[in-house]
Amino acid sequence: MGTSERPRAEGGISCRAVSSGYLGSQVLREISFQIQDPAVYVVLGPNGAGKTTLFRTLAGILRPYRGEVFIDGFRNDRQEALDRLHYLSHMDGIPNGLRVREALEFYAQVERASPADVDRVLDLLEIREFAGHFLSQLSAGQRKRVSVARVFLRERSIYLLDEPTSNLDPKLAREIRSLILELSREKIVLYSSHNLFEAREIGRYVLAIKGGQLALFDRIENLRGSRFVVGVRVLESSPAPPEGFTREGDYYLRELPGPEAVPALLYDLESKGVKIRELREMNNPLEDLFT
Amino acid sequence: MNGTLVNGSPPSLLGITIRRAATSGRFFLVYGTVMATLLSIALAATGGAAFSSAIPLLLPIFGVVGSMGGLMVFTNDRLKGVLEYLMAYGIPPRRLFLDVLETSLLLLTIVLGIALGAGVSFYLARGHPLPGNFVVFVCAYTLPMSYVSSAFAATAGMFWTTLSSPREGMNSPIGLIPLIGVLPPVATLMIVVLVGATGTVTPSGFFEVAAAMMTGVAVFVVVLLSLTGRLLRRERLLSPA
Repeated sequence: MGTSERPRAEGGISCRAVSSGYLGSQVLREISFQIQDPAVYVVLGPNGAGKTTLFRTLAGILRPYRGEVFIDGFRNDRQEALDRLHYLSHMDGIPNGLRVREALEFYAQVERASPADVDRVLDLLEIREFAGHFLSQLSAGQRKRVSVARVFLRERSIYLLDEPTSNLDPKLAREIRSLILELSREKIVLYSSHNLFEAREIGRYVLAIKGGQLALFDRIENLRGSRFVVGVRVLESSPAPPEGFTREGDYYLRELPGPEAVPALLYDLESKGVKIRELREMNNPLEDLFT
Repeated sequence: MNGTLVNGSPPSLLGITIRRAATSGRFFLVYGTVMATLLSIALAATGGAAFSSAIPLLLPIFGVVGSMGGLMVFTNDRLKGVLEYLMAYGIPPRRLFLDVLETSLLLLTIVLGIALGAGVSFYLARGHPLPGNFVVFVCAYTLPMSYVSSAFAATAGMFWTTLSSPREGMNSPIGLIPLIGVLPPVATLMIVVLVGATGTVTPSGFFEVAAAMMTGVAVFVVVLLSLTGRLLRRERLLSPA
């Protein structure tokens, strides 16, 4: 066993001067960071920045051209490292020609989970009602739920989730974020998203990737501006939001104490019959990371 | 969350790959099996030389078509990100490749088993004694040519899939590989027919041509398989971003 294969004392993810890419074309350049504390780490960056390449490299799918990745002290080309990871690709990763339950049984076989675990995630992700349906009969959102379900089949110490809430309706996305938040109390979760509101809602740290390099790694609260303003866009058939909002173009604006006040605002608006088409943060400092 | 941290080698997925291939490739499997079986029974009904010479020559063609399910699983899994998922859990590309190859050969065995079993049973039931040259023909040509051609179709199809942009339809590997996979037995037949037209073909001459064809294809397959580590880069198995 070489020096680099020996388990290191430190747990979590250790990414050391990693350069990686596809078929010799470099995408990530000299990325280094260390993650040890359980939390949600949001990975942000514009399209093509290298987020998916980073996830694939951490998951051991892509071999780095230079540098090394350690998972709980094991280099990530070893099974001991892979046994500590869950990786959810931005693709469904759903095998064709199977029913929902059969697909989960397929995942359970790969992940050495039990039939009881399959039943548990059917309830957890509320997919039992279409457990007997063929995957080809499901909507994109339902397929995503099946795909997300598999990361809850077995417990692992690190979760790499590449856009886990894309294609999901707001209610289900919120429920899944809630599950992930619960998970992050004891586990490390790397989470990529294009939804900045979502990123601020669940992330404690942000890793910003720009041009294949790590542009920022900091606590999200350090990035927050002094004001938190949300904009609400309503359906044409909806009444306008009540007083307390100012109008700016299609949006009704309101300043809130922070992101934690958003669910209460949504509840309040819904109870007053306001039909929300979109809700977004109007001055999210994370937007700067995309420019 | 239930469960404990897992450790150990990734499990074998051969069983579930076979099941999925039989489902995904059921059209090819049913088509190959039904055509081969009907042909086998029809020729058995005529008795004599038509059965003992035509069946061994034609079965490899239907066998290759019937074994396409393995390649269908591979192509679709690449497109949907399943191969990426499996690699993340420690299943190496070579294992994925071999599972599909073994699956294809097993589907072929099903087609051959049913077609040969039905044809021979019908032939014997009609009171014909099984010709000795039929058994020789099947053992020396039908079985090896079928397995070599099916392995060729699966291996070439997987390499083609990984080297091309993911796509579906008739110009995809799945659309064209059945035609390429049946090339060895069809080429053998064509060579024999062309040489036979000159009046120079003999039974031993046929087996020489067939043996040369099978050896050439087998070497090609073995070379491709031995190069999987070098040619089959992990990036090639990823779903499109």
